[in-house]
Amino acid sequence: MEQRNPTLRIIAWLWFAISIAVLIVGFREAIFLTPPDAAQGDVGRIFYYHVPSAMWSLAFPYVNFIASLFYLYWRKRDPLKALTADAMAIAAAEVSVVYSSICLITGSIWGRAAWGIWWTWDERLTSELLLFLLYVSYLMLRRFSSTGQTQTLAAVISIFAAIDVPIVWMSIRWWRTQHPAPVFFGGPGTGVDKSMMPAFVWNIIGWGIWGIFILVFRFALERRRQRAEQEAALHAIEASLEISK
Amino acid sequence: MTWQSFFNLSTMQNRHLLASYAVVVIIQGGYASWIAWNWFHAKGTRH
Repeated sequence: MEQRNPTLRIIAWLWFAISIAVLIVGFREAIFLTPPDAAQGDVGRIFYYHVPSAMWSLAFPYVNFIASLFYLYWRKRDPLKALTADAMAIAAAEVSVVYSSICLITGSIWGRAAWGIWWTWDERLTSELLLFLLYVSYLMLRRFSSTGQTQTLAAVISIFAAIDVPIVWMSIRWWRTQHPAPVFFGGPGTGVDKSMMPAFVWNIIGWGIWGIFILVFRFALERRRQRAEQEAALHAIEASLEISK
Repeated sequence: MTWQSFFNLSTMQNRHLLASYAVVVIIQGGYASWIAWNWFHAKGTRH
């Protein structure tokens, strides 16, 4: 049975308010306070939203991966715990699709202005597209498959997606790509001017806090659905027992 | 940059900057709204 917890509700609203406040600071830094990029001009400001989305699009898949491993471990040993892990896995998969789609779209919009092309089959772009497609297929499987093994099959896809994540991260280090060099952790000769750091840092933190908020909110929604389904099943069993008396 | 130049659509650079920020707000806001709508419309199990 679901019980409303006022403390959790207050924490959720506070988390939401903090994430919005940090995102407003990040927007102000990105648009109004940071000087235009010396080489690109104002279009370089797209990076302040593109880079944080790209970074978080590589973090949330691991939440999905770990939750999927817990699901596979618990599915026979403790089905109730497995359901909780499965709710976290589906929430993380959706958030991964949100962040990777933003990464791809904003990157494409920037590419058209900076390179003159919307898309190129570069290693970084292709591996990120693959990550996005893996999670779309994960969600489509969850939505349309009618076998009893849907969650197990989805957990296997999440393992493939987790393998792709380090390939995406390392692609601009392993290969000479059209994609710009790493902004962070790229080694000597890489990085950004100090004047750009506040805009990057505020937006990385802001989109991270926001991502955790929507992840937990989606997880709570899935748990509510699961409990409703369990209760409906219980009522059906009780009703059938009443009839058989 | 100012609000006026942020919404100035006269150059491709400015149009693309505005479009990319709009995409982020639409996708993130849309997804959060979808969760919120389902949250308030999902059948609760309280007794």
